[in-house]
Amino acid sequence: MHTEHTIETSAERQNRHKAMEAISVLNALREDFKSPIQSMGYFYDLFEKVYCHHHPLHEGKAKIGTMCIQIPSEIIYALDAVPIRLCNGFYTDDEIGGDLLPQKSCPLVKATVGWFASDNFSDKPDITFSPTTCDQKTKAGAIIESFGHTVIDVGFPRTKESEESRHYWRESVKSFAVKLSKFQGKKLTRSNLESAIKKVGYAQSLYHKLTEFRKNKAVPILGVDMFLVTNAFFFDKIDEWISAVEKLVSELEQRASDSINVAGKASPRIVYTGSPPIFPNYKIPLIIEQSDAIIVADETCSSNRMFNDMVAVDEWNLYDMIDSVSDKYLKACTCPIFTQNDDRIRRIIQLVRSYSGDGVIYQAFAGCQVYEMEQRSVLAAMEREGIPILYIESDYSPSQHGQLTTRVEAFIESLKNRKRMKK
Amino acid sequence: MTKNKFSLRRAVNNMNLVRFRFWFQIVAFVLVVYGGYIGLDLGDKLPTFACVFNGEGTGGKCYVGELQHDLKHPLEGFVGFAGYAFLISLGMFAVWFWALNKGWCGFVCPLGTMQDWLTMVREKTKIRYSEYSWANRGKIKSIKYILLILLLLLPVMIANSVFGLPKLPNGLSMPFCDICPGRMMIPAFTGHFNQFYIDFSSKTDLVMTTLGMIIVGLFLVGSFVKKRFFCYFCPMAALQYIFSKPALLKLYKDGSKCTKCGDCYRACDMDILEIADDVTSKNLVTEDCTLCLKCVAACPENGCLEANFMGATIFESTKEGFLVRMAMDQIKENHAH
Repeated sequence: MHTEHTIETSAERQNRHKAMEAISVLNALREDFKSPIQSMGYFYDLFEKVYCHHHPLHEGKAKIGTMCIQIPSEIIYALDAVPIRLCNGFYTDDEIGGDLLPQKSCPLVKATVGWFASDNFSDKPDITFSPTTCDQKTKAGAIIESFGHTVIDVGFPRTKESEESRHYWRESVKSFAVKLSKFQGKKLTRSNLESAIKKVGYAQSLYHKLTEFRKNKAVPILGVDMFLVTNAFFFDKIDEWISAVEKLVSELEQRASDSINVAGKASPRIVYTGSPPIFPNYKIPLIIEQSDAIIVADETCSSNRMFNDMVAVDEWNLYDMIDSVSDKYLKACTCPIFTQNDDRIRRIIQLVRSYSGDGVIYQAFAGCQVYEMEQRSVLAAMEREGIPILYIESDYSPSQHGQLTTRVEAFIESLKNRKRMKK
Repeated sequence: MTKNKFSLRRAVNNMNLVRFRFWFQIVAFVLVVYGGYIGLDLGDKLPTFACVFNGEGTGGKCYVGELQHDLKHPLEGFVGFAGYAFLISLGMFAVWFWALNKGWCGFVCPLGTMQDWLTMVREKTKIRYSEYSWANRGKIKSIKYILLILLLLLPVMIANSVFGLPKLPNGLSMPFCDICPGRMMIPAFTGHFNQFYIDFSSKTDLVMTTLGMIIVGLFLVGSFVKKRFFCYFCPMAALQYIFSKPALLKLYKDGSKCTKCGDCYRACDMDILEIADDVTSKNLVTEDCTLCLKCVAACPENGCLEANFMGATIFESTKEGFLVRMAMDQIKENHAH
């Protein structure tokens, strides 16, 4: 008998580890909850295809890496390229990146840097645009460049109220458009930008339709499923995403009229805020929904913030379209990198009110300084408004699962008690 | 019945405001500029530029013209009956104004409509609009009040010696009309170009009519590059704003629903910052507001901005209306890849 022994390469090991991370989350989504949604199958399969089987989606198309939501996807689509958002949720990549960044860095940034360091992509970005948002993302751009990738910084202001910021960001977006247009050898025109704006706007309108169902008493879709749908927008083909979400909307319509509830009757309704859950780091959302609560809304950049605000054009000419695209990514943004956070607080309160939330869970990645710093003011505001809130610090490691579960469960129990007392 | 009512409301909230306003303004323009030919006479207390120089075409007369005329009397005269008459005409102006509030500017004023037409021409030529810097935008706010004070004071100073100063020459009897672009532009629409002149008969007339010619030139060029260029300086707007609080038509904002996305500010022809940044006031009819309601149409948040008439919501911002107006409610097949 002769058996061949091959030694696993580091890329193969990385892929195997990532596949294990991915499949365990996907299996939990598929099997751990009651009343599964049929049209979610598209998304489970999509993530399995890309993250377990390393299947490329965009062969033959220019792939434009983006390091944050602020790089306008409208302009990328208008220039016939595909935006790939590189915010990464894999612990495997986080560990690789951990060797290259300070110990107390944000796991999301570490994972993104680790991804580039290993240079192991199913859809490798041809060029990456990095908006100068938080310190760590800003500095990560240069580190990634040192691995031999093309990274172009896009200057982003850290105040949004002032006139200078508005002008600065509009100029940044213009220069981004010029650079990308050169890279693509294609002109940005009134008609290609207009149809890209309308297509992205339509995709956003579908997200808004999905969220409407979460206002119902019987919530027909899980928060973790919603995160998966919005995460898919990071890298999926937009037309396929649109038709998959159209199907999901019509299935939810049916479920809503049948009053199907994915949660229990007394399940507390949670508004989720803070550092973004990015596949497969659904640690906290999964704990929440496995502990008999339901996430009805979120204020995070991997979901709500990415879809909430749409481009509003007054004069459908190129000059005004570019300005309105720029304004969309600056003015309504509730990212904690800005000096003021009143808008974020008002958004959270508004979400709690309109989705009848019972409490807020605020997650900050250990090392995400801006979210950690905003914790106090958000907690104080919630106390003023009489909204219960739980603040959790976590990272990508699987190690603190027990302790986190205990804290989340205790919070959810207290919300249930509060609900009972009210009755 | 309720369902019917609901869908009417929905249809209104989903309306194409640009088109609605375009046609509303045309009808108003015809009534104000040509109404006289069909016997329309809305009196001489109108809170909009229905120009007295438009002869028999005009469907009514502008109160600012009347006001200057009224004030050109010896002050003693105002003590008795003439004082009451003056207050009654001011009151009639206010009553007219309260019906539409600043909506007179955004929907009726023929000078405003002309400027909107010039904006449409510019848009077609794909020339970008100009904006004031925020600092300058703040500074020019006071100009309309200065003009208002002058147009009130000068006629008084013709008929009276104020603080012992000599009386002013009679050429200043209608000081604002002399420089108002409406005096030249509105009669032009009924075929009367006779207001485009410079009067050499006296020094005062020479200066004032020359100023008028310059201002009409500025009006045409200015409102081509800057939306509603003239409205920033309009003393009628200043006079109106004094009476704005009790008006029936209102622009209300619910700040708790505002995300400060700034879509309303971008749509605003008057570059009013408060519309986006003020999340505490309810009444957002500010001094330069023309109640054109473009902000309501541009707002994507349900019930954040609304036009309210006597306590009833007549048009409010909705997500659906926003999507319909931006053509984002469905995908156009010809654009699909």
